[in-house]
Amino acid sequence: MAETATSWDPRGAWAGIAQPGSFGAKGEAGVFAIMLEGFGLASVIAEPDTTAALSQTVEALLGLTLPPTPRIARGPAHDIVWAGPDQWLLRTASRNGFTGLLSELSAHAAVSEQSDARAALRLSGPRARDVLAKGVMLDLHPTAFAIGDVALTNVAYVGAHLWRLDDAADGPVFEILLPRSMAGSFWSWFVASAREFGCRVASGRG
Amino acid sequence: MSGQSFRLASGGLIDRTRALAFRFDGKSYEGHAGDTLASALLANGVRLVGRSFKYHRPRGILSAGPEEPNALVELRTGARREPNTRATVVELFDGLEAASQNRWPSLAFDLLSLNGLVSPALVAGFYYKTFMWPAAFWEKLYEPLIRRAAGLGRAAGAEDPDHYEKAFAFCDLLVVGGGPAGLAAALAAGRSGTRVILCDEDFRLGGRLLAEKREIDGKPAAEWLAATLAELESIPEVRIMPRTTVFGLYDHGIYGAVERVGDHLPEPAPYQPRQRGWRIHARRAILAAGALERPIVFPGNDTPGVMLAGAARAYVNRYGVLPGREAVLFTAGDDGWATAHAITAAGGKVAAIVDTRKDADPARKALAEQLGARLFAGGVIAHARGGRQLDGVTIRDASGATTALACDLLAVSNGWNPTLHLTSHQNGKPAWDETLQCFVPGTLPAGLTVAGSAAGRFTLAQALDDGARLGREAAVDAGLIPAGAGPVPATDPETTALTPVWRVKGAKGKAFVDYQNDVTDKDVELAAREGFRPVEHLKRYTTLGMATDQGKTSNLGGLAIMAEQTGRTIPQTGTTTFRPPYTPVAIGALAGHHRGKDFRPTRLAPTHDWSREQGAVFIEAGQWLRAQYYPKPGENDWLTTVNREVLAVRAGVGICDVSTLGKIDIQGTDAAEFLERVYINGWKALPVGKARYGLMLREDGFVMDDGTTSRLGERHFLMTTTTANAGKVMQHLEFCHQVLWPDLDIQMVSVSEQWAQVAVAGPKARETLRGVVDSTHDISNEAFPYLAARAITVGGGIPARLFRISFSGELAYELAVPADYGDAMMRALTRAGEPFGITPYGTEALGVMRIEKGHVAGNELNGQTTARDLGLGKMMSTKKDFIGRLMVGRQALIEKDRPSFVGFRPIDSAQRLRAGAHFIGIGKAAVMENDEGYMTSVAYSPHLKHWMGLGLIRNGAGRIGERVRAYDPVRNGDVVVEICSPVFVDPEGTHLHG
Repeated sequence: MAETATSWDPRGAWAGIAQPGSFGAKGEAGVFAIMLEGFGLASVIAEPDTTAALSQTVEALLGLTLPPTPRIARGPAHDIVWAGPDQWLLRTASRNGFTGLLSELSAHAAVSEQSDARAALRLSGPRARDVLAKGVMLDLHPTAFAIGDVALTNVAYVGAHLWRLDDAADGPVFEILLPRSMAGSFWSWFVASAREFGCRVASGRG
Repeated sequence: MSGQSFRLASGGLIDRTRALAFRFDGKSYEGHAGDTLASALLANGVRLVGRSFKYHRPRGILSAGPEEPNALVELRTGARREPNTRATVVELFDGLEAASQNRWPSLAFDLLSLNGLVSPALVAGFYYKTFMWPAAFWEKLYEPLIRRAAGLGRAAGAEDPDHYEKAFAFCDLLVVGGGPAGLAAALAAGRSGTRVILCDEDFRLGGRLLAEKREIDGKPAAEWLAATLAELESIPEVRIMPRTTVFGLYDHGIYGAVERVGDHLPEPAPYQPRQRGWRIHARRAILAAGALERPIVFPGNDTPGVMLAGAARAYVNRYGVLPGREAVLFTAGDDGWATAHAITAAGGKVAAIVDTRKDADPARKALAEQLGARLFAGGVIAHARGGRQLDGVTIRDASGATTALACDLLAVSNGWNPTLHLTSHQNGKPAWDETLQCFVPGTLPAGLTVAGSAAGRFTLAQALDDGARLGREAAVDAGLIPAGAGPVPATDPETTALTPVWRVKGAKGKAFVDYQNDVTDKDVELAAREGFRPVEHLKRYTTLGMATDQGKTSNLGGLAIMAEQTGRTIPQTGTTTFRPPYTPVAIGALAGHHRGKDFRPTRLAPTHDWSREQGAVFIEAGQWLRAQYYPKPGENDWLTTVNREVLAVRAGVGICDVSTLGKIDIQGTDAAEFLERVYINGWKALPVGKARYGLMLREDGFVMDDGTTSRLGERHFLMTTTTANAGKVMQHLEFCHQVLWPDLDIQMVSVSEQWAQVAVAGPKARETLRGVVDSTHDISNEAFPYLAARAITVGGGIPARLFRISFSGELAYELAVPADYGDAMMRALTRAGEPFGITPYGTEALGVMRIEKGHVAGNELNGQTTARDLGLGKMMSTKKDFIGRLMVGRQALIEKDRPSFVGFRPIDSAQRLRAGAHFIGIGKAAVMENDEGYMTSVAYSPHLKHWMGLGLIRNGAGRIGERVRAYDPVRNGDVVVEICSPVFVDPEGTHLHG
């Protein structure tokens, strides 16, 4: 066996698929992609008639209100993303203390960790909308998809959880979660779609 | 410039400072930026550009737009070769290469034009009449012959090297067409803040304004055009898309469009697609697509040099090309006269104006005199002659006398048909307008309005007025306050009086109705005589309107002749409707990125890269790629590899990725109750920390899926499904919960992507795991018995789950870790198992071992088997209700003779078995009546050293020891097999508990 590694090194969803760097048209990049790593993620499904109790717990623990519509509630370290009727995704920038938080929430909800289940990408830049228009079948115009709006949709036949964050100086900012197993196919579409605008890719923390 | 002898010294919208070299049929020419291939050919005096479909008649350029039926060429060479490209819409680029098509050996001398001599045999319906008999001749003789003789261009035959993409757009207002009506609409709506998309199929916006010399607000229309475009470009919410054809209207205001991003370049610019297929969602749309001019049916009307009058004008005014030096005008209305003006103004001569209207008013007489043209009022063209190039016409005047005139251009004007195609894509029938003598849009699809010529409002003033009004309406519809309605700009006067003539009768020679499919007026007459009178029959019998141009220039002509033949009016005869696409669309633009490997997403397990490193050969399992086997150097045959893997597992230990299995997290106080209802067996008694095999049925009683489900907590279960059915089972469970039992307290979510999972199988499995599982967890046989399922940790605190379940029949576990650690898990197991010769194995070895153990899998869970068929009938609880329980009791499903699940072994152990073979009694004939069942799975067992099979045979369990034939005519297999127990290895199950 040629194998020599000795430790349990985690390998993120983008490993072997995408690397930091640039691709496509030369010059000023029109699109920026950050491969998000190391975030904590869990699905939280309210039990019958416990949404109110869950809501209070979340408010007490995180200072966030559970969004009842397809929106994202953002806190300094946590985000709560609508994921269906009485369902949310809880996301943290870091996985430290995540297990503890999840067990506190388990009293009022079915909680399932999904930290490793999704490949996540943050897209920004002046042409970010133009890239997404090649795969997302939703109207992402600022008047139709406001800051904080969330959509469960699909991109290039890959199921996707998409939302819009505060604008950056150079344009809108979107985040997109994809099934980990399909990250490679998504990336193939993304490269083909973004290359005409020029794209810079980096790794980053959620 | 030497070659461009028909190019005007000045004028037109071409850039004379930019010369573009191109080749047609191997000969070099020069054109200019702004030319189409057609205008550049005409500038160079090239008239003959193709041969017709059936009769191989010489053909030239009829139009200057998308309706062109004649000037179809093969564009580009090699893998980019594109047949049937209309030269009239091909934007000229430097280095363009085009070739005429459907000629042999050359365009000028075509042997198959002999088809014209035998043409009586090739009239409408000739396929049906001539080639009916004898039937055997069809495939061998007639079809190949016809295919060579008739036809158009050749496909490239090589993989398209370019990339295509899809895109989605949304707007308040989609404007289809960038002529005066469309521009006025976009401007009125855009000024109000409406989100506007304006598409035009041309590479230059302006529509007919580009082809006419008109005035708007007392100034040349070009000035209005420039100012309007500049303003539109300055409005952020207005998106202008030239080179974009809106080809279809679909439900709910969705429009299909194709943007030719790189068609005007030798090859697409770096990083650019060739074409982009758009799906446009429009709250409202304005069809401002203009109109298409109509030819007249008369003998010789397909001679190169016969051209639509509006096209001739376009070549003069837009492209600075004189389409002929000595012209004759054949017109049925006022519009044609503008062409006479244009030709004279450009220095050409108009020898005669043949106006079909008898009452030549004095103004027209004076005008003809002024143009120096002889006027034949009430005359017709009886014949155009010239073969490969027009050299003259015969005019029949009102008195019936004929005059022959020499000319090299015959401009034909017979009025215009509104381009209303999109209005009929949702079954809208156009309505006949008796005054206008054309079809106008009938019932409109929701959200669509029509402006200008497309609505039969043919004057420039009407176009501008319609556009501005409908544009403002769209703004209101979008909830905006429309910008102040300024005065609609004034235009110079124009008249559109018209008395159309559908055909010239009483002359000899072929007169074409449908140029592209070579349908003549005689064909329509024949159809009328033979009873194919309804318009749909006419179309199918004669192929009228069925070519790639979809009858843009021919449908109405054919209808009019049928009306005349049957003594009916045109609306009584029928209407012409249209289906998408408006013009041909490359399939690449519809597929976009999704071709080849990207046809659908590929799913990769978290262990994929590790498997690749081990040299795995992968196989597609649904969307997944799974390791099929892991050949070692020197193993040149898959069976050698698979045998090694199987023996290694049963002798030591092996690992196989099972991350692809579906994993569903089920929580809630009613979770156990839920499982009771979806599975056939019992779940309430399953203790926490244990797994159980479960089988679920469809409502109709047939088996749907199987898998193990573990109880992780009092109210927390983890269900696994087969790889193939993961999505389907999740859907089924959601349906059961949301629709059948919404009162149950359960919460479900797929966790398939969260966990990397591996089967560790073989007598050394536990010892291997001992080196991976943290020492705080006791996994001894006593502490962690068969079917134990518990959360553990590995690698120093990494949360994991361990299940003692077995598909191979060996001592086996499945270990799951968060997907990020999937790769590390494989490496850690490999290290820990090294002393035991740990061997990665793939789906093939997995399959061999499950067949050796008689476990059912996808081949047996094929949607046609019941639990009883599979020998699992006893699992069905009689103490509870479950999905499928009632239907499984149907008579046919409980008959004794139903094929049931057993094993098969060859009597001659050297014989290979084949899945799919059918069972037939020894000595019985291989006919359907004797069919007793079939082989579902086979494998070579390296333990038994012969092939073994699983299958379904009539009353199988009652026939152990009996012999039958396994008959496989597809692969010449006919093997005597013995019916046996499906468990071939370790029937006592001692390995499992080791």
